[in-house]
Amino acid sequence: MFKRSLALGVVSGVLAGLAGVLYAHVYRNSLGADFSRVVPAIKIIAASLFGGVLAAIGFALLYRRLTTKGEIVFNLLFTLVSVITLVAPFAAKLPLDAEAPELFPGMVIPMHFFPALAWFTLKPMFIRNK
Amino acid sequence: MNKLFYPLAAILLLAGSAFTYLTTPGWQVATGYSIAFSSDDASGIFRDFRGSLSFDDSDPAAGKFDVAVEVASINTGNAMQNRHAKSDEWFDAVKYPQIHFASKSISRTASGYQVSGELEMHGSKKPVTIPFVFKKTAQGGLFTGSFNLNRNDYGIGKPGGGVGEQVRIDISVPVTKI
Repeated sequence: MFKRSLALGVVSGVLAGLAGVLYAHVYRNSLGADFSRVVPAIKIIAASLFGGVLAAIGFALLYRRLTTKGEIVFNLLFTLVSVITLVAPFAAKLPLDAEAPELFPGMVIPMHFFPALAWFTLKPMFIRNK
Repeated sequence: MNKLFYPLAAILLLAGSAFTYLTTPGWQVATGYSIAFSSDDASGIFRDFRGSLSFDDSDPAAGKFDVAVEVASINTGNAMQNRHAKSDEWFDAVKYPQIHFASKSISRTASGYQVSGELEMHGSKKPVTIPFVFKKTAQGGLFTGSFNLNRNDYGIGKPGGGVGEQVRIDISVPVTKI
């Protein structure tokens, strides 16, 4: 189980990272707010991969401990943790030369949900329900 | 009389144009300036700074500064802090849109110069003295200076409240000749 969970975590993390990079690009081109110096593409991918791998470990542990209710608890926790992490963009202090810091949360908040979205979307391909 | 008009006009024009070179040189604020503030808990910059600066390092007493920053241009690096700083709890940018400094005297000191004048902020006008250094550069010149002020003197924020009361102001203003 852990092997499949980890594979799902890595794949969904990378895909979420790529979606984040694409979203940042669209955001920059449509609003003119460029935060690529604050959060470069590599950081977006690394953070998403971290989220994906953390989810994989959490899923495997919960699945082993709670078996039948493990997935429900995991889904709730993953969503809850994603919501809690939204505090970070609001509290972030950007370099003083960064233009329009008020547009920064708008760029990164959706990214905080991408790992969970990717996980929930791809899960049936990696882990089948009993 | 008519004969004298043109020679007199020429002399006046000549004297006037020569006098322009003798008056204290004026400087124009160039890009790349920095008006930064820092305290124990908050730091940031004001992005919008403008004004008139006339200063001659050989005759500092003849100089005059009249400058202002737009309160709404405050940037702490955090959107929520910016909004908070502009609110009526702090700077009240709507009611007091500018921080204004007008010099009264400029004098030479051992380490550079100092300008004394009145700083108007948040509806309060207080005398301040700002030590500064002026360096000539290839593009014109550079004014740099630092000073401390107490935000309570201007009624900005509540006394204490977990935010430092002493605020350090660091100014760096590159200028070009007008």
